[in-house]
Amino acid sequence: MEQPNDLIVAMQNGDEKAFSRLYTMYSEAIYGIIYSIILDENTAEELLQDVFIKVWNNASSYSIKKGRFFTWLLNIARNTAIDETRSKSFKNSRKNLSTTNFVDILSSSDSLNRATNAIGLKKFVNALKPACIKIIDLLYFKGFTQAEASKKLEIPLGTIKTRNRTCINELRVIVLG
Amino acid sequence: MTPEEIITSGNLELYVCGVLPPEEVAEVEEAIAAHPEVKRETELIEQSLLHLAESVAPPVQAMTWTYILNSIRNIKDKGDNKIRTLNWPAITGWAAAILFMGGIMWMLKQTNDLNNKLQVTTTENTVLKEEKSTVENQLAENNKTLEILRSKEYQAYTLPGNQAVAPEAFAKVYLNKKENVAYIDIKGLPTPPRGKVYQVWSLKMEPLTPTSVGLIDSQNKVGDGIYKFVNFPAPEAFGITLEPEGGSETPTLTQLYTLGMITI
Repeated sequence: MEQPNDLIVAMQNGDEKAFSRLYTMYSEAIYGIIYSIILDENTAEELLQDVFIKVWNNASSYSIKKGRFFTWLLNIARNTAIDETRSKSFKNSRKNLSTTNFVDILSSSDSLNRATNAIGLKKFVNALKPACIKIIDLLYFKGFTQAEASKKLEIPLGTIKTRNRTCINELRVIVLG
Repeated sequence: MTPEEIITSGNLELYVCGVLPPEEVAEVEEAIAAHPEVKRETELIEQSLLHLAESVAPPVQAMTWTYILNSIRNIKDKGDNKIRTLNWPAITGWAAAILFMGGIMWMLKQTNDLNNKLQVTTTENTVLKEEKSTVENQLAENNKTLEILRSKEYQAYTLPGNQAVAPEAFAKVYLNKKENVAYIDIKGLPTPPRGKVYQVWSLKMEPLTPTSVGLIDSQNKVGDGIYKFVNFPAPEAFGITLEPEGGSETPTLTQLYTLGMITI
């Protein structure tokens, strides 16, 4: 999928319609990222709003020449969600959920977005090796660095990058066919 | 690295995940810009991950977008409000109202002042009119008197001062012998002291018989220092003495101020 650079520039110039279309394109994925970290629908919804308000207010800080727009959104979403997990109110209300990953969400919830697709996807994701699930969860959903992932997973640093590539290739086959 | 090496390195995956070390980002971006196959690979990785994230998202509430839209518009509105915190239309309105009130008060005060001035001026006018009327009457009286004294029926005589009593004094008499009317000008007499009054006498010489003609007082006054007398015996001489208030039966000769013969 090519990045919609025209829409991004229009949004940076204050075009609400362009912003609306970008929201339609990216909000579900961003919501999935936030939800996988927060694991509470109400809080995740609020954070989704916060993220897109930040996107609008800081639109000018993104440059098409530097990085993918999706990656920029991803960083904002993960940082916003992780900041929330560090807040006092969040710590008081939830405990020890950090071990939950996206596969747990897929297999435990029946009310996921794009229900039919998700059910199909669920099977494929279940087919992902546990090692892949862990590494994608850490690097993509949680934004761990390679060193952090290496430490967490207790595998050599040099293995992280290649294993991640192999796992995402598997995912590609499942998701894109 | 060749494009192929970059694709197989695993760096593109880390790049899309946003966890590629900063020092390796530039190389990846150059390769994406330079080689379509690297760009295509990056897009496929992104699409897979995007779908994966979408698949774990609960349904997004339709209201969420509305909240976002309201928020960004509120921020805009707040910005606008800041500019308008002074609320110029209201300030202008109040300023105009205050100016208007002030103007009305000022005009009321002006009207009041003018009314007062008008009243004072009207009073002054009345006083001046009265004065003018008085002066006109006096002038008319004086003219009348002057007219009489200038006529041929009247002869003028000067009564010189008595050397013993008032050498500088004198009086003038304008006499109509036919009708026995006399006008006496006492400008040459000193002002009488308090409690005293000048009395005019008509004198017959042989024998010396004085008859009172009248007092120099307001009753006989016809002009400034001019007194009119009638009904007295035809005189041979006129004398003026200083007498106690009310006048005397006979002249006090020690106080004879002027005396003059009426020659034919």
